[in-house]
Amino acid sequence: MKKFLVLVLATIMVFVFAKERIVINSYMSDPAPRKALAELVEIFQQKYPEYEVVVNTFAHEDFKVLLRTWLASPKGTADVVTWFAGERMRYFAEMGLIVPVEEVFEGAKWEDYFPEAFRSTCSYKDKIYFIPQSWYWWGVYYRKSVFEKFGIKEPKTWDEFLQVCETLKKNGIVPITIGTKFPWTAAGWFDILNLRINGLDYHIALTAGEVPYTDAKLLKVFEYWRQIIDKGYLLPNHTAYEWQEAATFLFRGQAGMYYMGQFIKDVAPTEVKDDLDFFRFPIIDPAVAPYEETPIDGFMVPANAPNKKGAIVFLRFIASKEAQEKFAKDLGRLAANVAVAPPDAHAKKGLDMILASAGVAQFYDRDTNPEMAEVGMNAFIEFMQNPGKITDILKRLEAERKRIYGK
Amino acid sequence: MKKKLAPYLFLAGPLALYFIWVIYPIFRTFVVSFTRWDGMTRPRFVGWENFIRLFNDRYFILSLLNNFKWMVGFVILSIPLGLFFAMLMDQKYPGHKVYKSLVYLPMALSFVVIGQIWSWVLEPSGGIVNTFLRWMGLESLAKPWLSDPRIVTYSLIWAALWRQVPYAMVLFLAGLQSVDREHVEAAIVDGANAFQRFWYVILPELRPAMVITITVNIIDSLRAFDIVFVMTRGGPYYSSSVMANYMYIQAFHNYRMGYGAAIAVIQFLITLGFILVYVLNVLKREERL
Repeated sequence: MKKFLVLVLATIMVFVFAKERIVINSYMSDPAPRKALAELVEIFQQKYPEYEVVVNTFAHEDFKVLLRTWLASPKGTADVVTWFAGERMRYFAEMGLIVPVEEVFEGAKWEDYFPEAFRSTCSYKDKIYFIPQSWYWWGVYYRKSVFEKFGIKEPKTWDEFLQVCETLKKNGIVPITIGTKFPWTAAGWFDILNLRINGLDYHIALTAGEVPYTDAKLLKVFEYWRQIIDKGYLLPNHTAYEWQEAATFLFRGQAGMYYMGQFIKDVAPTEVKDDLDFFRFPIIDPAVAPYEETPIDGFMVPANAPNKKGAIVFLRFIASKEAQEKFAKDLGRLAANVAVAPPDAHAKKGLDMILASAGVAQFYDRDTNPEMAEVGMNAFIEFMQNPGKITDILKRLEAERKRIYGK
Repeated sequence: MKKKLAPYLFLAGPLALYFIWVIYPIFRTFVVSFTRWDGMTRPRFVGWENFIRLFNDRYFILSLLNNFKWMVGFVILSIPLGLFFAMLMDQKYPGHKVYKSLVYLPMALSFVVIGQIWSWVLEPSGGIVNTFLRWMGLESLAKPWLSDPRIVTYSLIWAALWRQVPYAMVLFLAGLQSVDREHVEAAIVDGANAFQRFWYVILPELRPAMVITITVNIIDSLRAFDIVFVMTRGGPYYSSSVMANYMYIQAFHNYRMGYGAAIAVIQFLITLGFILVYVLNVLKREERL
């Protein structure tokens, strides 16, 4: 009886004080982005008091596993989920597990909000499925003071880059740091070398599974990579470190350079932060236009979302200049919204680099089928430890590609 | 009649849970292992394909071999060491309880914590082990413990022994309680020295404890997962991977549920084999009693 009364009371309360719920499942588990999102939600609720937003936060790696169960279950719980643009998003769109979100633009167009260049990576079959929030660039990070000390200038070409490595090494500094306990950092190197040597179209075809891994053009990528491995320019024992641990070698001045995304600044100690700078990954073949890596983060709406209407309202807010500006400012990243200026000088430099590029890629594990990405990234590590085995490694990768893509 | 019903009523609850959470998933795993399934779309029946693939998968074979390394390491190291500590702790001397607690302490830590600690200890540049070796002038012995594919598995086993040895010790200590003191005293009267007393009297009486400890260690080595997951995630490039780890990666990272299930089935069958040997052994002994 008591239970029944409580139930009745609860039902009445729901109807009287009904606020429509919007549930967001988020992977922003690091303190800084988590806080930024919470503050955005606060602003949203002040603007739209009829909605009550619930944010469920999950650790990054857990989120990747759980997302599939949320999307696949017949009854959905989340209305909005965080995710990555590119193949990672398309994979779900293809299965009909997420829905197009054109309504977000209400009479306007994609181009009124976001750069045209982002469109393809946020859509599937000409429909927008993904609302970008922020993005960042990858570059070769270094400490200004260390470069100054040895009179090093930012290298522009591959030869200059090797020269810088040599100078650092002579002075007892590990030229390039990298932590490959989680292998994606190695994929960064693969991507940028392939982009510099073979260009964007080739890279996209490769990540889409259309180019055999035994292709001669691809072998060239590993030949260049091998130069820095054979000369001992890379941090020894890099497989023992996570990317943050490898970054400390840079922060302590024991290592000279780190090819990394802008988020390296999130983990830098305050006294080092302003000493950090980056340069564009050196040009290898002047005939190939410069392309860069710029992963895009954002949101999508599951097909089983209980409150799709609310989800669209929330995403409309996320796409707005106000929300994008706040998020970018808080994290020093670039807003996807074209109306938002870069939040600081560092971001301005990043943006200029991207604007000067001929095109952008997401990232190996965002552009490639997840299974291929896993084998591929582990193969890169194997290559870094045994560069001599490259033909054998690529042969195995090719066998995997054939199995995974069925062609 | 009522009397007979009661135990079954009590059992019904736990049994129901057991079926839902243990038996049914095992059964489902067998079914899934014959399919190709990404965890979302409809599973497709593929017969033995996953199993055939597995035995052509060098990384699975490697994981399987690594499990055997774990098994050998656990049995040949944690059994004698556990027994040694148990014998040491079984005596009464000032402060013996403190020593017992100290040795026992790692048991209270989870493998995740132990893995984290040992990641720091074995860290190649500034870790305690290598720092110590360099300080001793043994630079050549300082190794990249966690990044050299040839030694990484042994480093992991070593870290796991940190917990496995006290575990074996506890089992042996319990076993020592049941050793008949009169037999030991009789041996003393007969003039047996310490080694003889140990070898001819205590060890044979420890047989039941020995069987349990070996079996438990074998089973533990087959389900090794946490330390690998924390310390290397099976890397570099799968070289320290074990079956459970490889299964996790295939199922939850690569979204190959069927393939992952096939690995689980093989792991299950191997473990089951050892458990059966153990159970039969126990049954045989009980018959004798």
